[in-house]
Formats: sequence, C-alpha cells, structure tokens
Amino acid sequence: MPNHLYRLTADQVASGIKNRDFSAQEYISQILERIEKIDLKINAFVAVDKQGAAEKARSIDKRIHDGEHTGGLAGVALGIKDNICTKGLKTTCASKMLEGYVPPYDATVIKKLKENDAIIVGKLNLDEFAMGSTTEYSKYGPTRNPWNINYVAGGSSGGSAASVAALECAMSLGSDTGGSVRCPASFCSVVGLKPTYGCVSRSGLISYSNSLEQIGPVGKTVSDVVMLMNAIAGTDENDQTTRTTAIETIPNTMSLDRIPKYRLHQNNRNIRVGLVKELVEGADPAVSKCIYSAVDLFSRSDCKCEDTSMKSIEYALASYYTIAMAEASSNLARYDNIRYGFDSNPEEYEWNTYFAKVRNNFGEEVKRRIIIGSYVLSAGYYGKYYLKAQKAREMIKQEVKSLFEKYDVLIAPTMPILPFKFGEKIDDPLKMYQIDIDTVVANLAGIPAISIPVGFSDCLPVGLQIMANEMEEQTLFDVASSFESIVDIHKSPEI
Amino acid sequence: MVEVKIGLEIHCQLTGLQSKLFCSCQCDYRGKAPNTNICPICSGLPGTLPLLNQRAVDFASMISLALGCKVPDKVMFYRKNYFYPDLPKNFQITQYNAYGITSIGVEGRVDYGIKSTKIRRVQLEEDPGRLIYDTSFYTLIDYNRAGVSLVEIVTEPDFAEPKDVRMFLNKITSIIEHLGVGDTKLDGSVRCDVNVSLEGGKRVEIKNVGSFRDVEKALGYEITRQKTMSVRDIEIKSETRHWDEARKVTKQSRAKEEEEDYRYFPEPDIPTIVLGNEFLSSLKAKMPELPDERKIRFLREYELSDHVAQVLIDNKELADFFESTVKIYSSSPNEIANWIVSDLLGFIDDSKREEGSLFSGLRIEAKHMAELVKMIDQNIINRNIAKMILGQITKTGEMPSYVLDKMNASLIDSKAIISEAIESIFNSEKSAVRDAKQNPNAANFLLGKVMQLTGGRADPKIALNLIKTKLAVLE
Amino acid sequence: MISKDEIRHLGWLSRLELTDSELDRYATQIDEIISYFDKLDNVSLTGSDPARSIKKVSELRNDNIHVFEGDPLEFSKNRKDGFVKGPRMV
Ligand SMILES: [Mg+2]
Ligand SMILES: [Zn+2]
Repeated sequence: MPNHLYRLTADQVASGIKNRDFSAQEYISQILERIEKIDLKINAFVAVDKQGAAEKARSIDKRIHDGEHTGGLAGVALGIKDNICTKGLKTTCASKMLEGYVPPYDATVIKKLKENDAIIVGKLNLDEFAMGSTTEYSKYGPTRNPWNINYVAGGSSGGSAASVAALECAMSLGSDTGGSVRCPASFCSVVGLKPTYGCVSRSGLISYSNSLEQIGPVGKTVSDVVMLMNAIAGTDENDQTTRTTAIETIPNTMSLDRIPKYRLHQNNRNIRVGLVKELVEGADPAVSKCIYSAVDLFSRSDCKCEDTSMKSIEYALASYYTIAMAEASSNLARYDNIRYGFDSNPEEYEWNTYFAKVRNNFGEEVKRRIIIGSYVLSAGYYGKYYLKAQKAREMIKQEVKSLFEKYDVLIAPTMPILPFKFGEKIDDPLKMYQIDIDTVVANLAGIPAISIPVGFSDCLPVGLQIMANEMEEQTLFDVASSFESIVDIHKSPEI
Repeated sequence: MVEVKIGLEIHCQLTGLQSKLFCSCQCDYRGKAPNTNICPICSGLPGTLPLLNQRAVDFASMISLALGCKVPDKVMFYRKNYFYPDLPKNFQITQYNAYGITSIGVEGRVDYGIKSTKIRRVQLEEDPGRLIYDTSFYTLIDYNRAGVSLVEIVTEPDFAEPKDVRMFLNKITSIIEHLGVGDTKLDGSVRCDVNVSLEGGKRVEIKNVGSFRDVEKALGYEITRQKTMSVRDIEIKSETRHWDEARKVTKQSRAKEEEEDYRYFPEPDIPTIVLGNEFLSSLKAKMPELPDERKIRFLREYELSDHVAQVLIDNKELADFFESTVKIYSSSPNEIANWIVSDLLGFIDDSKREEGSLFSGLRIEAKHMAELVKMIDQNIINRNIAKMILGQITKTGEMPSYVLDKMNASLIDSKAIISEAIESIFNSEKSAVRDAKQNPNAANFLLGKVMQLTGGRADPKIALNLIKTKLAVLE
Repeated sequence: MISKDEIRHLGWLSRLELTDSELDRYATQIDEIISYFDKLDNVSLTGSDPARSIKKVSELRNDNIHVFEGDPLEFSKNRKDGFVKGPRMV
C-alpha cells in the first residue's frame, strides 16, 4: 500500500478503491492523520467527523467486498464549507449566532454526495456567513495559506481551498456569492468552479445573497471538479430557482460513473477566447504577467485569443455589493437567538431590547453589511441604490451576453493581486471589497466561471479565470482542461 | 352630516388547502400540540427555501377573479422586513405593487345590494405563528400556524356605513365558501383590519378585529369616538388602535413604536410565476358557481322572491340545504325556501351564524324538511302543526311522519276535555275572543292557546271545530 | 455624509445595539462605501430589470402533506410545554 494516499486526486482515489488497490479505510485513516498533523497550521477545518468518516469507509469497504454497488465517489474524502447544512453535524457559518447549531436536515448537495458514497470528513472554515475575501472574519480564527502560512488563503471559502491544497481532503464544496470559491482557489492554487445560477440546488446553503450565490466544487484538477459537479448539479424540488432545462434532460438518477452529465475532453481547436482588457490591465503587474504568459502558451495551439472590452464593469462592484448587502440584511434577520443560537435566556427582556442585544454578537463585517443593506433598501434610498444596482446588473448581463456572441470563453485574472499578509486590508473595508472586481461579474450575470492555477509569482499562486455563457459548463471544462494540460503547474506546497 | 370613509383589509386563511403556503406541513394546525406542525422551512431554520404551493396560487387567483379583479400575467413575491417574535424569519413573504403590479389580483369590484365597493388588491402571503402572553416575564411561541396561506383583500375606502361593511363581509364570506377555498367558520380563519376617517380628517386604523361580527361594533364605536372628538374640536390623530374584544372598545396601541420601514424587495428565492391565458382560462372553466350567479338561478329556476333568494345565498350552508331539500321534493321550492328563511332560521342560535356551522346542534336534514313540506302540500298537517313538528325535528332528528304519529297517538279526542280547555281560554282571553268574533282568522290564535294549555295534545281539528261553534253561538 | 444618528436608526431597523465606538467607526466606513456606490447614479433607471428565474404554476410544489420527521426545534434551549420561550412583549 502506498503511504501517500492523501496526495491522490479524487479520480485516482475513486478508481483505486473500486479496483481494490487500497481500501477506503486505509485511505481515510491517512486523510484523518494528515488533518491531525497539518490542520493546526492551516486551520482549514472547524470540525472533523472522525467517527462518521471511519464508519462510512468501513461500510464502503464491506459493500465492495460483497460485490454490492457503490456510488461514483465511493470513498473519496470531502470537506464541506460550514455554511452548508449537514444533518447531525454542527453547522455554524463561523458565527457566534449559530454556535452549537445542529441542522435536522441535509442540504440537497449533501444528500447527493451521500448517495454517491462520498465520505464527508468535516466542516471547513469561512468568513462569518461567507462575508469576506480572506477568511479572517471567522470566529474560529483565519485559515492560513498552505503556500505561506503568513498569508491569507482567500475567502470566503478559505477552508475549502486550503484543505484541498494542503492535501487534507481530495475535494471540497464551497459557496460563491461574489468570488468566494474562485478567490481562495486562486490564492491556494487549486481549481474552483462557480456554476451557472440555478445549476446546483441552494437548499441547505445558509443564505448570504440568494440571487447571486451558488455552491461550487473545489478540486486539485479540472477532472476532479467535473466529477464533483456531476454529483451535485441538477434540478431540485427543494429549490424552485434551480433550472429545469438543459442539463436536466439527462436524468440525474443515472449512476454518475456510467453516464456523466459533463464529459472531460480537451478542446482548444478554433476556440474563440476574449481576454477582458479592463481586468488584466487593472491587475497587479505580477499577476497580469503570469496571465499573459499562460495565454501565450495557449495561443500557440489552435485557438484565437484577442483583447476585448467590458464597459459595464465600471458598475460591477457597486451593483454587486448593493444587491448582496440588501439581501443579506434580510436573510440575517432570523438570527434572533430564539429558535437557535448561543446560550441566552430571553426571560425578562423586552423583545426589541433582547433582539438588539443578542444580535450585537454578529461580527464586525456582518454588522457592517446588514447596516448598509438596510440603508440601500430603506424608503428614501431604494430608488437611488437598490433599483439602480438591479438596472446595472441587467446592463452587465446584456453586455456579457453580447460578448458571448463573439467569444466562446472570456478570460481574466481570478484575483487582481497576489495573496497578501494577514491584517493588510482588514481595516479598510472598501479596499477589501475592491479585490472582488474580477469575480463579481460572473455572479451578477449568472454565468459559470472557473479558476485554475496558472503559475506563481514570488512563490505565491496566480489563478486564471475562465468564464462561459450560461449553462455552458461543458465549454468551460473543455477549455479549462486544455489550459491545465498546457500550463501544467500542478504541485503541492511543502508544509 | 359628516361623511365617513371606511376601508378594509381582510385576511382570510385558505383552509381548503392540504399543506402550508411554502412547505408541506399540514395547513390544518388547529388543535395540535404546540410546535408539532412544523418543519425546517416554516420554523425558519437556516438554509431553507420557500417552496410555493401551486394550489395556493390557483385558489388566490380564483378569489381574485370572483372579486372582479384583473389577474396579471406574471406574479411575484416580496419580502416585508420587520422584527416580531411570531415571525420565524423576521420577514414576511407577501406581495407588493409599489414597483409594478405583481400581486395576484388588482382593481376589482364587489356589488352588494344596490351598492358596490372597489377592491384595491388581492395578495397571497404567509400567516405568522401564534404568541401566548403567559407571564409578564416571557412570551410563549407556537409556530404551528406559521406559513399557513393567507389571502389579503384590500378595499378602497368606499364604505360610508358600518351596515354596508356587514353586507360586504357577508358577501365575501359567501364567495369564499362557494369557491371552496376556505372555511370562514373556523376560529381565526378570517381577520379584519379597518381604517376609518371622517371627511377631511386623519385616518385611524383598527388592527386585528378577530371576527366579522365585531367589525360592525368596532366601527360603530370608532365613528362615535371620532365624531365626539370632532364636535369638541379635539384633533384626531393618525394612529393605529386595537379592538378590545372583551370591553367592545377601540384602544390606542401601546407605546408609539418608531415608524416601520418595511424595506420591501423582491423575494429572490421564489421565481416569477407566469400565469398567462392558458392558466386563466382553465381556471375559469374550473370555477364553481358564485353567489351572484346562484341567486340569479334561484330566481329563475325556483321563482323565489329577491329577498328570500338573497338570504339563502348569503350563507352557502343555507343555500345548499335548500337545494338538497328541493332535490328530494321538487314540487314546492317556494314553500321550502320560506320555511327555511322564516321558520328554520328562527331555531338557529344567533351566535351560530358567526362561529361553527349554522346547523351545528340542530339535527335537521334535507329529508326532514322535504317530508314536512310534502305533508303540508298534501293537507296532512296545517302550518301550526308543521311548526310544532319542525321544532321537534331540530331536537331529535326524527322524521316528520314519525313525530306526527306519536302526536296522534297521544291526541285528546274527547270533546268534553277539549271543551273544558276552550271554556277556560275563552274566559282568560276576552279581547281575543272579541277579535275572533269579527275576524274568523283570529280563531287560530285561540286554537294556539288551547293547544298550549293541553300540551299540544288536543286534536286540532276537533278543537278548531268546537271553537268555531262556540264563537258562532256567542253574543 | 452619513451621520451617527442615521447609523443608529439603521441599527435599530436591524435590531443591532451598537456601541458608541462602533457607531463612530461605522459612520466613517459606511460613508466611504456608500459614496463609492454613488457611481450608480449614472445608471439609467429606464433600463430593464434583471431577468429572474421564471416558473409556470404547474412547475410549483404540489399541495401534498409531508410530515417532517423529527423536531426542527430540538436544540432550542428555551422551551416550556412544547412552546418556545421568547422575550416579553411589553
Ligand atoms: Mg397582510
Ligand atoms: Zn413546515
């Protein structure tokens, strides 16, 4: 038995266990050992379900031994962002307001992972309620970047990216509202996808901004991300905003390993690539240099790369934050410490006083967003901010749509800057918001976008973002996989 | 006379549904132990999404059509953001028209008598949970009701008198019942907020009047209060008051809360729903007969008087009772209708008209009424006897013929005994005797007295003959 | 310029009891952020609203009862006779 099973891609784990090269229990024990050893430094996990993982591995081994059917992800270790509900497993959004909260139901994606026999090893760190770009706003403390533990891992799905990069699990789920999967994927040099809005059920994802966010897979390779996406995508009767067209025409009851919805084939023949000028030029030179050289490599194959412009990008951040904060201010109203929350006794408090008192236990960034969200929705300002933000959103959507008439994919940096040191931006919220400029477009337009590793600058990772038209995940995977094979920078950090 | 303007906001639960508005919990929460009719969605657990009930959309559209509203091609839901301990999410999912018409119905009109009222809008929304004020230290919350479908009907301030409001509410109740979308007799299934203003004056809102019967009373009280104030030149403030059910007065709401800013915005978890022509035409085809149509049919088919037909259709139970009786005995619909409207209604406790079934506690069924009227038609009994028999049936549920047989068996046919009774009545009812001498019809009054004296056991035919003979020989 | 009083009022709307130092800090930061949002002034209000997801009535949930197994409030700490205990109303 090889003693570095935890280094394997999900693909390799799934086939290794299926072919009985090693057992699920052997694999999981190495994963748990790895977490135990490494996570003190990284802080990617907020909870590890050792017992549950071990039991699941045992049952998978038994079924394989007995010749019974196992799912397409049988034995693969997965980490789950702690804003996705797991029945019987604490789900806290890294917030005091959900301290000790144990959901009585599974998110739809969790049900699907369980049906596919994935092993959920634990819950992953995030910015409180997914609000942040560094995972510094977590009540559990920040997640550290596996490439340099003095640097941020990105956010808000910091734990999801760092755990995969640090080889603590094969894949993970994050959520992406304005870049929350892609940003840490880029900072940690892994692959992260934000699917088309409505492709993956949000049932069980604790809402931050409902109209923008999607659950997204994180993996070491594009192939792994495709495999995970096949497991979680599809129409869901528990989420009426899931799409009922396109991918769902392939019945999702079919076993994944036999009929994948998305396939993996590299294709860069005659692919029309638009490089979003404003975003490349707006990036840190260290980042754009990396992007240009990747594009150079890619251009040598048969694809056509050219510069293009997206004028409406001017309004993207203002539109994004206005809408996100508006929705957040309403979503977070339910945390009043009556039905769930930290220990507190409402007796003898007048209700308004009680609510205001307990709700002050939200973290600083969350409160800031609730207040601004309340402001942009309030009677006098709805027209000036919320309504205008919606109009801007449609403008961006229209422009993106017209660009996809000319290009199959658009590319840009995932992040305009390299990972930075802890505390560097935390005192300047507006500056922090501005690093989301490259990622929010996909959320506003509802299109799929993926971040893949394309290089390093000063030993810090750089990610390339590829966007495709809505429901064109397959195109995205084709191009991403070609890039991946051309650039070929897969390596793991030394921790 | 100062003109009064009254407007209504009616909340009506769609109790005809199986499940709640946004989850699969039972719509029928009544009588269940606290917090046993809940799921993650209606208790507002993190990560849950509202799952709109398609039949609730059907029902609300039917109500809108019945109230003469326009139903838009697309409907949307909004969040109304405010904190309250009965709201599991601290916002209510409802509908809103300020940014374009997206509520399920708008601009309707309801006629009642010779008057009519405009309907501003009809919207679909969720009911909150229930609060119980247990002690002064805490409140008890039961979420069983949370998420039950409500239809809110908002009228223009078109009413000038409380009795018009009463007539309108009767009509609304009858429409809801005829549509089969809700049982308005269930406790708390219809609630009403009213707003009242005197000509040119400020608008006062009275919240949460728990039953339609109290609306008229609350309005009466509030109009008098405002008129008194205006006579004394006291300024009427724009405010929200509450109806004190026990003391039958309106009261100023507690400490003035800071003005609410509901920060409405489109609910992102519920898609825009396209209704469209196909939906509407299939719905129209499914619509049951409404009170207005039914009344026209009653007038045409049964040749009832306008008044009688109106009384019947104002209460679906009564109209249904009438029609089932006619189905069994079809020869005298008019006679049947009159018996229901003028006699049977007399047996119905006034309070029953509001709460519980009209017939609850009464054991009468259509077959009883049918046989009774048939016996009258066949001259087996006269109206007085029929009335006595009706009284008996409502208590025992026995068939009229059975009641009559029993009565006959115990009848006194001894002329001597009956004469004795007549003698005594003639002595005590001197003026009635004088009347009867002039007007032979008044003899029935004397017969009634005789029947009363003999405990209903005198053979009425013999008694009446004896009375007539005695009157004839009287000076 | 957004005043401390405005922030306090917004805090009240969201039931957040903010300390004086929070009010100070938020007033400055939020003013800066809102000023950034002001670039939305240049967006025309005549443009169309963003397309939302659209469903037909027939695609919505069927009106069937499904009883949830388990107690959604199992972990709520303040209970009495099945009720949830909340703060007093006055
Ligand atoms: Mg309402
Ligand atoms: Zn429910």
